[in-house]
Amino acid sequence: MSESSHDRRESDRTDGEVLLSVEDLVAGYGLGQVLRGIDFEVGRGEVVSLIGRNGAGKTTTLESILGNVPEIAGTIQFDGTDVTELSNDETISQGIAYVPEERRVFPGLTVRENLEVAQVAAGNDRARDIDTIIGMFENLQENEQSLGSEMSGGEQQMLAIARALVSGAELLMLDEPTEGLAPYIVRSVEETIKELNESGITILLVEQNVQVAMEVSDTHYVINQGEVVYEGSSADLEENQQILDQYLGISS
Amino acid sequence: MAATDQSETDRSAASTDTTARSAILRTEGLAKLYGELVAVDYVDLSVSEGDFHSIIGPNGAGKTTLLDLITGGREPTAGSIYFEDEDITDLESDELVHEGIARSFQITSVLDGLTVFENVRLATQAIQYGSLSKVDTLIRKAGSHGSIDEQTREILEQIGLEDQAQIPAQNLSYGDRRKLEIGIVLATDPKLVLLDEPTAGMSIDKKHETIELIEDVLADATVILVEHDVELVMQLSDQITVLHQGQILADGTPDEIADNQEVQDAYLGGHTDE
Amino acid sequence: MISVSLLFEMMLNGIVIGMIYVLAAAGLSIIFGVMDVLNLSHGEVFALGAYLAFSIIVALGTGTGFWIALLLAPIVVGLIGMLIERFALRPLYGRGHLDQALVTFGFLLIIYDARRLIWGTDSKFVPPPPSLSGTVEILGFSYSMYNLFVIAFGAVLVAATWALLNYTKFGLIIRAGSQDRKMVGDLGIDINRYYTLLFGFGMALAGIGGVTLGAYQSVDLDMGHSIIIPAFVIVVIGGLGSFKGAVIGALLVGILQSFMSTYLPFLSGVEIFLIMIAVLLLKPQGLFGNPHWEVPSGDTDFLSGIRGGVLEPQTRRYLGIGAVAVLALVPFGADTLYSAYYVSLMQELMIWALLALSLDLVMGYTGLISLGHALFYGLGAYTSMLIFIHVTPSIFVALAATILLCTLVAIVVGHLSIKVTGPYFILITLGFAELFYEGVYKFDFTGGSNGLFGAEREFGLAGVGVNFDNIQVGVEPLLLTGNDLYFYFVLILVVVSYLLARTLMNAPFGSVLRSVKESEKRTEFMGYDVRGYKLRAFTISGALAGLAGGLYAVVQGYAAPALFHWLVSGELILMVVLGGTGTLYGPMIGAGVFVGFSDWLSGYIESWRLLLGALFILFVIFIPRGLVSIPASLQAYWGRYQSDSPGTGDSTAQTDVSTKGED
Repeated sequence: MSESSHDRRESDRTDGEVLLSVEDLVAGYGLGQVLRGIDFEVGRGEVVSLIGRNGAGKTTTLESILGNVPEIAGTIQFDGTDVTELSNDETISQGIAYVPEERRVFPGLTVRENLEVAQVAAGNDRARDIDTIIGMFENLQENEQSLGSEMSGGEQQMLAIARALVSGAELLMLDEPTEGLAPYIVRSVEETIKELNESGITILLVEQNVQVAMEVSDTHYVINQGEVVYEGSSADLEENQQILDQYLGISS
Repeated sequence: MAATDQSETDRSAASTDTTARSAILRTEGLAKLYGELVAVDYVDLSVSEGDFHSIIGPNGAGKTTLLDLITGGREPTAGSIYFEDEDITDLESDELVHEGIARSFQITSVLDGLTVFENVRLATQAIQYGSLSKVDTLIRKAGSHGSIDEQTREILEQIGLEDQAQIPAQNLSYGDRRKLEIGIVLATDPKLVLLDEPTAGMSIDKKHETIELIEDVLADATVILVEHDVELVMQLSDQITVLHQGQILADGTPDEIADNQEVQDAYLGGHTDE
Repeated sequence: MISVSLLFEMMLNGIVIGMIYVLAAAGLSIIFGVMDVLNLSHGEVFALGAYLAFSIIVALGTGTGFWIALLLAPIVVGLIGMLIERFALRPLYGRGHLDQALVTFGFLLIIYDARRLIWGTDSKFVPPPPSLSGTVEILGFSYSMYNLFVIAFGAVLVAATWALLNYTKFGLIIRAGSQDRKMVGDLGIDINRYYTLLFGFGMALAGIGGVTLGAYQSVDLDMGHSIIIPAFVIVVIGGLGSFKGAVIGALLVGILQSFMSTYLPFLSGVEIFLIMIAVLLLKPQGLFGNPHWEVPSGDTDFLSGIRGGVLEPQTRRYLGIGAVAVLALVPFGADTLYSAYYVSLMQELMIWALLALSLDLVMGYTGLISLGHALFYGLGAYTSMLIFIHVTPSIFVALAATILLCTLVAIVVGHLSIKVTGPYFILITLGFAELFYEGVYKFDFTGGSNGLFGAEREFGLAGVGVNFDNIQVGVEPLLLTGNDLYFYFVLILVVVSYLLARTLMNAPFGSVLRSVKESEKRTEFMGYDVRGYKLRAFTISGALAGLAGGLYAVVQGYAAPALFHWLVSGELILMVVLGGTGTLYGPMIGAGVFVGFSDWLSGYIESWRLLLGALFILFVIFIPRGLVSIPASLQAYWGRYQSDSPGTGDSTAQTDVSTKGED
């Protein structure tokens, strides 16, 4: 059923340790199943991308990991702990941070307050120093007291990422971080993702834009109609014209 | 400000060949301000009759706000809008529909709780409502007015949803909901259609399919399309307007836009070649 | 000449009342702003604070008793609030906001009756401690010590609340949650815990307000009503969700009332509604409402009803005809099978059914939740009575005039109300109804608090007619009296109204209304004048509700201010939801069940409202789509039970659907 079995590339992993593993994930919202069997792993220190069309089940996969989906079966393990049945605050406190689609910064809070919410959420033990994080993003530092709604799209994306970083998470889940940004801003988001990964943060990226996924990640899972239909490296993906056409509709 | 002046000259150069055809839609100094924030910055837009005219630009460039201003969804702070040389600035959205202006939304907007048929029927009925007698509108059962129902079926056939006519719109797939919205637009028999990212979230081949449907069913209408996919826009459009921070950065044919250094610097960032 | 000291005193009195209003309105506004819950029980909680304080002081004596009450009563009230949030409101998050408002309405009934049960109907006075009694000299004037205490204490509480919201972690999370609740959760915060605390906090503030007011003036059973209405007005004036707005609005209203009662005594009581209506029309988001905060259009998110049942239309028609036939037989059994009381009960029930039908036209079909439909009910009854008294005893003339006047009033009220949407619409319609409620007390021609009664009524026109009391048709045992003819008259009008409403709703006109309810924006961009349609629906609805009021006057022969009471409007919404919104017959069934059941219940237990409130809360939680949905739910449940897992009940499935809608 799934082509992934042919293309397992465990050997590519720099570090054998698995941080997040999702096995046989089936999930839905009562009306119908959205996920019909998702399997993938994210090694510690990796950047892994889930790619697929709108409605393929990418966001639902992230929501399932977070514990936001009511009907769920299968196993989700994070850092050795089974988080499948945990509520979202319990799951997140294990060390997962989420940067949702459309950034979702708090429009009426200042940049600094946005980060403080994450600090409160993480508690003093886990949270990282706000000043250190804010220092990493020039635009945010300059506009610390501006409201979230006053930031541009690119700045909001950076704020959402910074907010996730403040929570001190080991795994960052990014949902379509480049959507709707001007092409040249997309570049800088890509750079940021790479830098974060170099600093030791594991990243799970959800993308529709295959170019972006290939730019920042080398392990890709293609999701279609709630299933993983393909797994491979960027080189594999580029060669496999059929996958590109059939599931992603890319003609490169 | 220098930027606008620059584009001003670009545009006048570009539009020399289009002046032959009449502008179906013009805006003059159209602006929308939210306090300090300038969402649409005194824009002069001109759309020629029969054109496939695209508007591109990053999120927050003011594309959707511009569409809202033109279609009466928001009140402009300043400026005027002319449709077929008639001032339509103060008309309400529903009046604009009767003038022949229709639109679709970024987030698919169909009547979820009603059937596919009812969705299209209501749009058809809106246009014919005036010709119905009081008895027809108040007493006769909806769905028993021959011409409306017939036209509804025709439209459903055109958009390929005739088999799903009786299911609630909320049960349609994502792509079919998009199609239904195009059907609703079509049913109001528009001269000018404004489409706000009708292919958002679709894969490239689906995008093409949807655009083909649009070109097919709305062949007689002038289309204004807001779209993110630069490649797609380059292929399809007769004219392209690039919006940036509420201003028109450039305006011209796809070739002119591709060659425009300013667009390259501010928006595309040398990204078109990919 | 007005002395400066008098002005000064009026000013201070205004601030005292204003501070008490702040305590009532602040919690209401914050809870709405953060949790989207319109807490209709807020006034009852306020009153509960006063009553608890009364008992504590009785037990511990004046003096220390007051201080302990000031501490303890709010804590108890706050804990009750936390329990309400945790067990009754939390299951409803993700559903329509109306459901949450209705659950709090259930608690209103419960707390009201509990107060009556425990403390009786006498008015109560909470004695202030001796240390605060007497007067003090300020700037040469002597002024009540207790009043000064209220001002100072209120100011401290306002400052403390403001600091809590702006300078604490709790406040930060609350503010973030009010902007994007899901994101707060996705950062790993259990926001529900904060909601529980916030709800308790808002209630506790109201509790403090209750204690403070209890020592300012005596309080009685009606206290909840007399505080929540101004609190609503204040919240609307200030802008829903704005703490600053609530504080400034409350002080404004307090000061204004104080001056009005001296200079324009005629307007006292109605002035706040006039202000509210004016503010909403000039600034639809209130003085400090967030202009960027847009009420979701279409209100689909405010209403979670669904149309239809499992029955075939044909079967439903037969059932309907059957029901009318059974009703037609009711008068024949009077005094033989059952007492004549049941005939008048059925009559009353049919009038309520007509009211519920009228509300469903705006609420179920158009998505406009009116909490002011009692306006037309009362107006209809008063108009008919006035015609009977002053013009002619002809019921035909009276009802025609009633419908005409209610139509005109509905056009005016509707025209002004539909300028605002969502919760503001609920509150502006409430404001209009309260305007009439307060208004009828003020005029001689409306009979003041006694209302209007004692007029001849007859079938007929232009002086030629038959007085009802003299009619006798047929022979024993099949004897029909004048009263029975009333019964048939009502039955016929209700059936005709239903058929008319059904025809309209099935016609193109009705299909546009359904479209408006689904999405105002889409409907407008299809080319329909949405406001025009809303106005027409509101007008038809108002006319039908007016007819119901007129029939009440015809049948009962009197009209009283209570007909305008907001609880009537509230109960009416309950009936519609109970039956199933957007079905026309559902709300009529709902009205029948509601009126019949409360009548039956009140025959057995004195505290029937308490039980009714509790039952209603359970109903909203477990059967949100109304009585008409039960057959379909059973069928679905049975189908599921047969096919696979019996573990997943229907209620979870429904919640899940709405959760998804939220995402």
